[in-house]
Amino acid sequence: MTTIVGIKTKEGVVLGSDKRASKGFFIGSKITQKISKIDDTLAIAIAGQLSDAEHLVKVAKAERRLVELRRGFPLSVKESTRLIANLAYSGLKNYQPYFVELLVGGVDDEGGHVYVADMSGAITGEDFAASGSGSPIAYGVLESIYHKEITNEQAKEIATKAVAAAMERDPGSGNGIDILVIPKLLIVKSTKEARG
Amino acid sequence: MSEERDSGTNNNSSFGFSGTTTNNRGYLSYYGPGGRMLLVESALEAVSRGSTTIGIKTSTFALTSSHIKPTRPLMEPSEKIFTIDEHVGATGSGYIGDILQLIDELRLEAQKHRLTFESPIDIASLVKHLSSYLHTYTIYAVRPQAASIIIAGKDQMGTQMYQVDPGGTYFRGSAFTIGQSSDVALDVIQHEYSADMTPEQAIQISRKAIEKAVGEQKPLVDTGIISVTEQLFKKL
Repeated sequence: MTTIVGIKTKEGVVLGSDKRASKGFFIGSKITQKISKIDDTLAIAIAGQLSDAEHLVKVAKAERRLVELRRGFPLSVKESTRLIANLAYSGLKNYQPYFVELLVGGVDDEGGHVYVADMSGAITGEDFAASGSGSPIAYGVLESIYHKEITNEQAKEIATKAVAAAMERDPGSGNGIDILVIPKLLIVKSTKEARG
Repeated sequence: MSEERDSGTNNNSSFGFSGTTTNNRGYLSYYGPGGRMLLVESALEAVSRGSTTIGIKTSTFALTSSHIKPTRPLMEPSEKIFTIDEHVGATGSGYIGDILQLIDELRLEAQKHRLTFESPIDIASLVKHLSSYLHTYTIYAVRPQAASIIIAGKDQMGTQMYQVDPGGTYFRGSAFTIGQSSDVALDVIQHEYSADMTPEQAIQISRKAIEKAVGEQKPLVDTGIISVTEQLFKKL
């Protein structure tokens, strides 16, 4: 169930989601938050088992804080995604998989990134991506409108359109749209020296 | 009669081992007079008898060099400059067996970071790992590692150089000397160091420093370098 989308722009990254949580054929919640902010530069959009996803998000949050304190500068988006994917992979190999497909969106020194991390532990970097039961419909919209020179404002519109289209035809998605925009960092490269 | 307090200067006869003392209740104590850690100080003493070893860093390169003590004919001297990962090198002074063990610990941590984050490890994290590894040897009844390590590398923050001592203490800086007559070597470097020197000049300075320290003409010196313009830590 669910529709989530992530779009990389030249100004950063945009994530979008619907708000429905399904319990079989019943709508369990109409106000679910499916986009979790890890910090000001990273967020994760969740599709799949909410409890599993919440756990992964909590671990990622803690680990990112810890690493930044220790080494003096934050994890890149790719490093954060690999960290989560490793947890997913070890879960899979222990026959207790995390039933999730996550869109990791964030900005770092190199700009905006969108990564897809699933329960197999694989990660792929994408220009745009969709996940959840509504994703085939969302992809239809994304594929026809997306282009590389997109701005955050345009991406916001496209993400809204993609999730809205999925909500029209996918019974697993609905009850409103959430959008998160993460703008690119203003600092091009940190010149601060690591301390302690 | 008042209880006699542990002065720390009492005998160590019950263990016959100079690194520790026993207090008046007969317990083993790692602290000596003035709260000094005797085992760690012994390790530092062993390091100061090791071969003269140098690290020099500017904003464009980081260099490590170490004196190789002459060996008997037909015997190959052991290498003193170690590649930790593509972008990090290290050298050390003290017991070579301990140095090798610590080098392996660093290499392992560097590869663990690659597995966990799919990126090369930053030098601060590497140093912190070595520091906490060494620190565990100061809180249990074991022999601390008799080796100081100089780590040179580069990461997102630029070129980096650290010295890590047997107790887990570490320092960040632009020049370090450890081992035999390290104070003599440091004097030479302090006089000749300039922030805009070339790698060639730094190599000359490190050679001169080691020459002065060991009081030997043309000593055998092992050198390794990492610069911002090149990807890899290179042994010269």
